[in-house]
Amino acid sequence: MGKKELKVAFLLALRSLQRGSRSSVILTILIIAMCFTNMVFLPGIFNGIGQSITAQIVDYETGNVLVSPKSGEQYVTDLDAVLDLINGMPGVERATPHYSKAATLKYRGRVLGVSVRVIKPGDEKFVSPLYSKIIAGSYLGEDDTGEIIIGKPVAGDRTVKQEDEFQPSLGGVQVGDSITLEYGPGYSREYRVKGIYSTGWYSADNTVYTTWSDMEGVEGRTLDRAEYITVRTKPGYTEKFIKNELEQYGVSESVSTMSDLLEKGMGRALQSFAIINMVSLIVGVIITTVVLFIVITIKTINSRKQIGILRAIGVDKEVIMHNYGLQVVILAVLGIFFGALLTFVLSLYMTAHPIVTPEWSATLYLTPMDYVTNSLILFAASVVAGYVPAWQVSREDIQSAMRA
Amino acid sequence: MIEIYDLRRIYRMGNVEVRALDGVTLTIEKGEFLGITGASGSGKTTLLHLLGLLDLPTSGRVIVDGLDILGLTEYEKTMFRLYKLGYVFQDYALVPDLTVLENVSLPAMLRKDRTEEQVKKDSYGILQRIGLCDRKDHLPRELSGGQQQRVSIARAMVNRPDILFADEPCANLDSENSRMVLDLFHEINEELHQTIVMVSHEDWHKDYFHRIVRLKDGKVVSDGKNETRHG
Repeated sequence: MGKKELKVAFLLALRSLQRGSRSSVILTILIIAMCFTNMVFLPGIFNGIGQSITAQIVDYETGNVLVSPKSGEQYVTDLDAVLDLINGMPGVERATPHYSKAATLKYRGRVLGVSVRVIKPGDEKFVSPLYSKIIAGSYLGEDDTGEIIIGKPVAGDRTVKQEDEFQPSLGGVQVGDSITLEYGPGYSREYRVKGIYSTGWYSADNTVYTTWSDMEGVEGRTLDRAEYITVRTKPGYTEKFIKNELEQYGVSESVSTMSDLLEKGMGRALQSFAIINMVSLIVGVIITTVVLFIVITIKTINSRKQIGILRAIGVDKEVIMHNYGLQVVILAVLGIFFGALLTFVLSLYMTAHPIVTPEWSATLYLTPMDYVTNSLILFAASVVAGYVPAWQVSREDIQSAMRA
Repeated sequence: MIEIYDLRRIYRMGNVEVRALDGVTLTIEKGEFLGITGASGSGKTTLLHLLGLLDLPTSGRVIVDGLDILGLTEYEKTMFRLYKLGYVFQDYALVPDLTVLENVSLPAMLRKDRTEEQVKKDSYGILQRIGLCDRKDHLPRELSGGQQQRVSIARAMVNRPDILFADEPCANLDSENSRMVLDLFHEINEELHQTIVMVSHEDWHKDYFHRIVRLKDGKVVSDGKNETRHG
């Protein structure tokens, strides 16, 4: 098919859309836009949840790379040497140790079991945004002792009765209050609450943080061991690169990237998300294909006489087929454009108003590649749906078409 | 010149065989304005459709300037219709979504031997000839029946075809508009020596024809020069 034929097909298509039924054109574009939104919305939300969980795991649990004890051992030992080694490597922003101890909190008759996380506050700042999540009081200082910061759900709310609480709390601890931590039978210590934080990450918010110096006081010795070390990478360095580097430089502990851990911990969930996404995609594509097939079939049936006349005056059947095909192409492009626009506006709205649960908060997360992929899939489906009836009707003999 | 040999078109409707055209043999000379007349169902339109390659005969041959046109492939037939034939329909058959100018230009736009400039010039030229230049941007539904039929003639003529077929072009027009259309055919025939084959069942139309072929039950029952020709 030559340039002239394509030009005539495009002219016929454009004029049919411009001067034909406006409501039918608007409705078809709207359907395609809705189908696009349907195709990307649910996967986008799942991606948003996944991204949110991933980001919070990195921020509050593992960092980009997690160094944990060798198999069969409980702690990373010779801590200072290991930290010096890791922090000296290119691509490492900072490595920071974590140590935890089970404890019971006591405050005005309330008793609550928690895990006390022991951190080096200065280094932790480079690895976790915890310091920026303080909602009352202040963050821990490097040498603080007898002071802790606690999560908002642990602190509780004085205005809520105990029986009405979503989860057990200390019933409304405030900054400056004194609470008792019982580390084990017979060993308890008074702490002043230095700050209250809220991260939005369930596990972190149900924790109490204290300093390395304080725990050395509790344990009565220098704490040269950690349960694990979290490592933050510098921008431009991949987790995989850092992991390989750590292994090559002789870090004998177990080294895992966040992706490794995510795969282990959330592999099933991610697979389920992928299945739901696929079902949503297939349903969206089928709906669009069927709707466009019906629209173009009705259009071609209603135009049979005109098709016969066009063929009678010497218009080739390929031009006629491309006329209807191009109408679908134009409708699909407009529908996808408005669908993408709608989705973009939705994603902006959801960035400002994310879905918040006690476990995670999520936005509509869509990458440019998601837009491109879904647009191409929908476009291909639309073209098939439009060209099939167009091809069928263009093959009809002139006499039958003109008699219609 | 069009040579038609023993042309037959038989339709089967269940067990019934309808002989729409039953062995027509004719020769149409270049520049001739031929009228095909006959009662309804006599085979006039069937003959025109077969000559215009809109239908296939059951048997017979049609030779146009030495070319057996029934032996062409489907694509060649399409190109033959585009380059060599013009067709004017009873119900105008304009594309409703195209303006007058676009309707007229459409066949010319598809010709490989015409530049955009030529298409524009030819389309304006023919619109000027039919007196509808001032309505070029109107849609067919904004024109009267007579105007629409003139646009249909302009579309058929824009490629300067060798043969112009007209299937009862005045059937939906009043006598004033019918005369206007027939005068236009007459002018085209006289000035451009355009071969015109026109189907009609109106008695007064015969004044315009050089020659009249009368069909009955798919057969030629009379074929002769029109001595009472107009102009």
